[in-house]
Amino acid sequence: MALIDMVKEEIVKIPLESKDKPDVLRELVQILKDAGHIDDFDAVLEVIQEREDKGSTGLEKGFAVPHAKSPAVDSLKLAIGISPEGIDFDSLDKQPAKLFFLLLAAPDQSGPHVEALSEIAKLSRSNALCKALVNADNAAEVVELLKGE
Amino acid sequence: MSKPIRKIMVYVDGTEQSVTAAQYAICLASFSDAELVAHYVVNTRAMEDLLRARIFLKDEQAEYQQDMEADAERYLNHVGELAAQKGVSVTKKRSKGSVHKEIVSAVNDEDVDLLIIGELSRIRSRRDEFYDEAERAMRNVPCSVLIVKDEDKVWEMYQSL
Repeated sequence: MALIDMVKEEIVKIPLESKDKPDVLRELVQILKDAGHIDDFDAVLEVIQEREDKGSTGLEKGFAVPHAKSPAVDSLKLAIGISPEGIDFDSLDKQPAKLFFLLLAAPDQSGPHVEALSEIAKLSRSNALCKALVNADNAAEVVELLKGE
Repeated sequence: MSKPIRKIMVYVDGTEQSVTAAQYAICLASFSDAELVAHYVVNTRAMEDLLRARIFLKDEQAEYQQDMEADAERYLNHVGELAAQKGVSVTKKRSKGSVHKEIVSAVNDEDVDLLIIGELSRIRSRRDEFYDEAERAMRNVPCSVLIVKDEDKVWEMYQSL
């Protein structure tokens, strides 16, 4: 499934309530749980946290891409969170992260996982889009912006 | 008049859509007595991009590459089994690099006259960032392209072969 097919209002949360990195990871995993995409919240949070422990997925320009593989899912799952105020995510440029794209993949689907991450990387290079997403009023607007509607 | 379809290539990427495409390709190869090639591309280009973007750590890139090599083996074997069940022989082809470029290259190298791919994203986006690799391949290959839809109908066709 292409990344665009996964972008739906129920996997988007704006604004995020968290103020620090551990909380925002929990909040993002909770989006997947609330959307009915995962059952085992703790197992998913653990693999996401483990990956972050190896090195922050906070990139530049306020973008963060927490990701991991987990047998808790049988296909690719995406959660999008936006914090207009920004959260310290130990990012490369030391700036607060505002746009969070959490991606969770089944262990035997590395190909689609890599392609989805690649699409997110391309999105992160669009300054205008990033700015528009951070200034979005609600989840519906985020979906519209991502789909270019 | 020579046969309209002599050699079919199906692009397999591990998605359900690509497995459905493979089932259709097996049926078509059987009906048309065409050669069948199943092609999987390990997307090393994307992994390099992810490393450059610092989304991947070096270790992570190596781990994912191993996983994708294993995926390639598994999915190509799966297509091989699907074909064997219907008495169709299939040549398994694996390459590494940029997906759409590798597909175009394989179509040329193998002298393929029909490329079969799985259903593309149903939701259309005007954002360039969402154009996927299969779509780029479809636009660039020199041969005809068939996009397979309707998983249930294809499964019935495959089962009845």
